[in-house]
Amino acid sequence: MTHSTRLLLHAAALTAALLLGAGCGATAVKPWDHDLLAQKKMSFNPTPHEAATDDHIYFSKEGSTGGQTPDGGGCGCN
Amino acid sequence: MVGASPLRRRLSAAACMLATAGIARTARAQSWQLDGSALVYGEKARTNVVEPVARITRLFGNGANLYSQLTFDSMTGATPTGAVVTRTTQTTTSASGTTHTNTVGTLPTSPFSDNRFALDLGGAMPLGLVTPQTAIHLSHEKDYQSAGISGSLGIDAPGHLTTLTVGGGYNRDEVNPIGGIPVGLTSSDVTGESSRPKDVTTAIAGLSRVLSRRLLVGANFSVMHETGYLTEPYKVVSIVDPNATPSLGDDGLANAPTSTLASETLIHENRPSERWRRNVYTTGVYHLTADIVYLSYRYYWDDWNIQSHTMDVKVRHDLPEQHAWIQPHIRFYTQTQARFFTFGLLTGEPIPEFASSDQRLGPLRTATLGATYGFRPSDVPGELTIRAEYLHQWGKTPSSSDVAQPDGVDLFPPLDIGTLLVGYSLQF
Amino acid sequence: MSQHRALPAAPPSAPEHREGAWAIGFTAMGCPCEVLVDTDDPERAEVVASVARNEALRIERKFSRYRGDNIVHRIHSAGGAPVAVDDETAALIDYAATCHDMSSGAFDITTGALRRVWTFDGREAAPTDAAIAAALAHVGWQRVTWRDHVLTLPHGMEIDFGGIGKEYAVDRAAALVADDGSGPAALVNFGGDLVATRERREGRPWTIGIEDPARPGEAAAYKVELLSGGALATSGDARRFVTSGGKRLGHILDPRTGWPVMGAPRSVTVLASTCLEAGTLTTLACLAGERAREFLEAQGVRHWIL
Repeated sequence: MTHSTRLLLHAAALTAALLLGAGCGATAVKPWDHDLLAQKKMSFNPTPHEAATDDHIYFSKEGSTGGQTPDGGGCGCN
Repeated sequence: MVGASPLRRRLSAAACMLATAGIARTARAQSWQLDGSALVYGEKARTNVVEPVARITRLFGNGANLYSQLTFDSMTGATPTGAVVTRTTQTTTSASGTTHTNTVGTLPTSPFSDNRFALDLGGAMPLGLVTPQTAIHLSHEKDYQSAGISGSLGIDAPGHLTTLTVGGGYNRDEVNPIGGIPVGLTSSDVTGESSRPKDVTTAIAGLSRVLSRRLLVGANFSVMHETGYLTEPYKVVSIVDPNATPSLGDDGLANAPTSTLASETLIHENRPSERWRRNVYTTGVYHLTADIVYLSYRYYWDDWNIQSHTMDVKVRHDLPEQHAWIQPHIRFYTQTQARFFTFGLLTGEPIPEFASSDQRLGPLRTATLGATYGFRPSDVPGELTIRAEYLHQWGKTPSSSDVAQPDGVDLFPPLDIGTLLVGYSLQF
Repeated sequence: MSQHRALPAAPPSAPEHREGAWAIGFTAMGCPCEVLVDTDDPERAEVVASVARNEALRIERKFSRYRGDNIVHRIHSAGGAPVAVDDETAALIDYAATCHDMSSGAFDITTGALRRVWTFDGREAAPTDAAIAAALAHVGWQRVTWRDHVLTLPHGMEIDFGGIGKEYAVDRAAALVADDGSGPAALVNFGGDLVATRERREGRPWTIGIEDPARPGEAAAYKVELLSGGALATSGDARRFVTSGGKRLGHILDPRTGWPVMGAPRSVTVLASTCLEAGTLTTLACLAGERAREFLEAQGVRHWIL
């Protein structure tokens, strides 16, 4: 098994455990407890503008890209 | 109403009807949102960018949205050519057509000036538990054009506490450098081709979940496949003769990157024409008593042997009396070098199939420290944000570098970058 | 954060600034009312509050059983003859009929006759079984004929919208205040039955305190923070009661027995999307007596029992 495949399997296992296992047996979040969650700032990407700008900056200064959206390519800066 | 009894459902329906009977309501079917921002970016002694962006979004009552965004990028300054830092003054003529003299001990750079325009259009439409989303991207600059389309599907579990997202995208780029496509690993650039395409296909799958009243978590796995012309047409690799005495001379080849050092030849870099990139990205949002913590970690690896870790933390602190908020931010990034990355080749050695001295493929670390201040001015509708960030990038020079290292000169000098982003958001 | 409390009676008070919003108080339907408007403009708050106040006074005038000039008076003066009612009254009667049906007769707007035999002022006095039986002869929705907007109430029976009138008024006032959603958010509170029309600006919550019946006027037993629209209603046996044989009997009467419900909670509050729904659920919970908690948990609704 290559290094990257093993790493991928570990990452997948950890992710699955985190997402599917966590909360099992605990009480589900009731609709009236959505008070905090209803706020715009309670989301993974509350400032998409800033996120897009950052993606562009880091894409042009670093070797990695992506991870959050299905977009790829786009500018000649890397 | 999740978990409501049949009695409750009947009551709720009856009560709702009674409460709103006879009141003529002009329902707000849609509204608009305007987002604008301007980025001012400066690298110490290198590139400067000014990037204004404007986006207009139409929001519909059913949760759907449509947006269109215009971006203008004005880039000027000097970018590293890839030539190695040397002991003496070096004059380089780049493919962009200008001559530039570098001071000793600094990374040779060449100036450039470019403007880029981009248009993005997209939308999302929730349909019960399923939300399809799509986006189109078009961008144009003097020597690079890009067109892309992407789409994703979000599938919620009943209750909307868990969402599975799958998405994909395709980009078709055209690289048409000034002077045409150079022949890699040579000093001449007469392929005769003025442009070459580059294709990027992306696939992503992710899961997000509401774990508690205060906690959201998510994870993505994505794969990107690039084919085509992936080389940087303006970047060069040095071939250094560590034993020769530096003296002036010139190659005399037209349109070639020239070095006035006889001890050094510059050749165009060359990268593989295929790249597989993979990402595992995990993120969490946690609501403390009043503040919110945003955490994310990304592990990246590709088949050019680059592996990287990215850690990002933001904390949002509201200042309700001033109708404002402040959000400090730290990001840390570390990357291993591409397998064909080199600080410089040595004369006499065979030239490898692929070689690049582009620092962005090298062993590097980036640390970012910044803060955003957001507020609603009392006499102007909408929200203003101001973000100032400082980035510091430095390299890990390998202990045994084959390239003759000038005494006391850092082959990978650190880079300081400052950015200022001013944003404005209005709903109407 | 300070808690929200019903203001003492003071018909339209001057706007008072509180937690980034303006509060205007008034009296209607025999209880202290308040409208809290999420705006920085006190004049705008006054306009919004007057919309709510006018609707409260209108409904009070229309359904109060103490007036001699409304539909309720006409129904009670008909002496058993059929009375045609307007759309709004019909809708309320339909709602009451639905609740009666859903609660197997526990919820009933014709318990007026029982009030004559039970006086809830803390005195040591319980009526005789005979008196209760006589009163029960004039109690029971099943004795009423209700069809096609025509109500036939047998002579001697009373119809009382008091149990749903206040909650209905809050919902109506809130709906008028909310209008098309372009105005400021507001919290409409009629004597503790309240509706928040929608979320406040900048994600601030509406803070509502649930009073401890054992310690009225003091710090709240529970604090509810609403970050969206919603309705709260409270019922309970804490304030009005009668003692009989050393036992404390609450004031919520079961129309099927004629006696107050045993073991009803001192105070129960329910959060729902309309005040009518919340209020009906609190009433049904109280009628369930000792099984109030069980009942509310079965409904899947957010509630607080003290």
